[in-house]
Amino acid sequence: MWLWNKIKQLAISFKAGVVTLRYPFEPRPAPEGFRGQPLWDHAKCIGCAGCASHCPARTIFLRDICQELRILLYDSSRCTYCGRCADLCPEKAITMSDRFELATDNRQDITQTIELFMMTCQRCGRCYDLEIKNYIDRLSALGYRYDCLEARKVIRRSTAEFSPDELEKTVTYERPGRLEK
Amino acid sequence: MSRAEKLRRWLEKELGGNLISAETPFPGRLFIDLKREALTAAASGLMNQGARYQMGIGYDARKDGRGFGLVHTFAFDRDSLLVALRTFAPGDNPEFDSLTPFIPGAGWSEREYQDLLGLKFRNLSDRKRLVLSDDWPEGIYPLRREVPHDLMPPAAEEVAFRLEEAPPGTSIIPFGPFHASLHEPAHFSVYVDGEDIKGCEYRGFMTHRGIEKLAQTELTYNDVPFVAERICGICGSVHAVNYAQAVEAAAGISIPRRAEFIRMVALELERLHSHLLWLGVAGHLIGFDTVFMQAWRIREKIMWLAERLTGNRKTYGLVIIGGVRRDINRESSRDIRSTLEEVDREMQALEKAILKDRTIHRRTRGVGYLSKEETVKWNLVGPVARARGLKIDARRDHPYAAYDEVEFEVPVADSGDVWGTLVVRVKEVYEAIKIINQCLDRLEKLSKNEPLAVELEGPIPAGRQGLSLVEAPRGEAVHFVLTGNENRPERWRVRAPTYPNLQAVPSMLLNNKLADFPIIVGQIDPCISCTDRVLVVENRSGKARLLSRQELENISRAKRSGR
Ligand code: SF4
Ligand code: SF4
Repeated sequence: MWLWNKIKQLAISFKAGVVTLRYPFEPRPAPEGFRGQPLWDHAKCIGCAGCASHCPARTIFLRDICQELRILLYDSSRCTYCGRCADLCPEKAITMSDRFELATDNRQDITQTIELFMMTCQRCGRCYDLEIKNYIDRLSALGYRYDCLEARKVIRRSTAEFSPDELEKTVTYERPGRLEK
Repeated sequence: MSRAEKLRRWLEKELGGNLISAETPFPGRLFIDLKREALTAAASGLMNQGARYQMGIGYDARKDGRGFGLVHTFAFDRDSLLVALRTFAPGDNPEFDSLTPFIPGAGWSEREYQDLLGLKFRNLSDRKRLVLSDDWPEGIYPLRREVPHDLMPPAAEEVAFRLEEAPPGTSIIPFGPFHASLHEPAHFSVYVDGEDIKGCEYRGFMTHRGIEKLAQTELTYNDVPFVAERICGICGSVHAVNYAQAVEAAAGISIPRRAEFIRMVALELERLHSHLLWLGVAGHLIGFDTVFMQAWRIREKIMWLAERLTGNRKTYGLVIIGGVRRDINRESSRDIRSTLEEVDREMQALEKAILKDRTIHRRTRGVGYLSKEETVKWNLVGPVARARGLKIDARRDHPYAAYDEVEFEVPVADSGDVWGTLVVRVKEVYEAIKIINQCLDRLEKLSKNEPLAVELEGPIPAGRQGLSLVEAPRGEAVHFVLTGNENRPERWRVRAPTYPNLQAVPSMLLNNKLADFPIIVGQIDPCISCTDRVLVVENRSGKARLLSRQELENISRAKRSGR
């Protein structure tokens, strides 16, 4: 009985053979319909912020500079490739590509930035879209560059409030369970 | 007279003025509001009538002037009925009666809200911290409204876990937080006398990610499914579907038939690959690597299938409130059928080759035994309970999606050991294949033009309760949603199947050999991250003590005399 089982197991193992793929020495394209890294089409985006406010991972950031320039920054490091942004973009400016080999030692490799030239609203001072034009041409014509996004801002819709007193407490509290010497 | 009606009458008679309201907003659920004093009477009454305790939910309702809310949910499996008992306590005196004297399984839920909301429980025997890390400041309760989701008090140095001393005559062997046989961080300090396990202390909750707090402060209704599916690395759709069902039930949305069947296909695919994964891991843990290699090879086919169907190796990104996002058309349905046929064939060959193998029998039979009474006492769920003769399965008992329209068996075993869970899981693989094939039959008959998701008409009304069950591969997962304003849930509570199952592990370990420790813990297929899901905080440390020494000894003695 015991031997018979072992023979059967051997048969299964031999029949399956080696199943290890030769990846990465042989490329292995993703199947159709795969959701890889989202790609932005600069020409189509109108800067509506729809993607930024619906991204479940909140990894698309939007920031207005000088009331004229809107920067959209996509930081892939937290992206879950869910495709919500592509679903919701009214201009279909986002496509889910089949890129999945995204490991890198430089975050800039997987970050995408769009700079959109907007118009300033005379009432509220916020910026809004120009008529559809080629923004990239327009921007370079203006000689504009904005590379420092350190001060980027998340679109926050939090309802949590926290009083300064409470915060104070967290700094001065008595630590529980200190090791006795 | 239905069970819900009977219960309502009984409560009216028993509680009199303490019963505030009892409603059945949709079939199969009974939401009861009571005064705080009547909680114990009502809960013990329900237990006496054969209910199974599920979980407790605490929430902060001080904004509406109602203080703190506490909900306990119970299941009547024979009658497809879930009962939720809700009480409130004023904000300045949030004290409730503990249910632990007659429901030991309620201990974790109560200690969780002691940590997170600052609720107090009378007669709770074990008041140690469960969820919060040891260096979390006293008096800051992360689930309270005034605490922001990203609060990070500075870490304290020199804070140590206070593990119990080993009982006399035994010594401690630590397993974890990182150990080759545990796939996620958890700590077991195992008391051994020679090779025999005489008890253990569990400390977990080290992988808090703050998901529930995020949902009620940052995310919106339709963001949550994409975060919910990341509660678990195996049963993603389970949590997404479960959350969506809870919201849909609360808001009274009915989803298209097509979406129901597509959700079922995703859920059963998850069961398939989860059970194959478990089989592989179990084989690996007992040193039988042929099973490990071959089970995982078969499983890989399902992962690739999921990738083609949903766009991701895992069945992620499929569910939204009101339906699903991707269709299963004729072509993909053919694809699924041919893959499943292969899986079925290979699985049968593998089963024949291993199920009679002496290696497996010697390492699993009689190991990790737990009696049926203990199983009921600790409210165990899923294959762990079914291997102990308890025929409970949320798909059959509380049908959701379209499970009442497909035919399947609920396999049970009564050996009460690891062997039983193995048999149950292997049988469930074939049942899952059967269910998927039936779903595909139905999908092919449905009109192609049916939408995949309903358009929501207007905002989801606030203040409604939704309670939903999904039978995950590891057992029943429960989600509770209380709808809120601002397009986000007011409270969303997740109870993963490992939450009750893990509480019984010390009992399963008693009097086994130390070498069997990995497979005994492995038999519940512990999903530590699902269990720990809740919190708000950076994970630093967490401490939990499951059973006091006295309790352990009591159980140990009872067992010795019982067997
Ligand atoms: S794919 Fe999902 S997570 Fe990634 S940017 Fe788009 S919405 Fe955000
Ligand atoms: S990518 Fe689409 S959704 Fe995002 S800002 Fe541009 S137009 Fe709006």
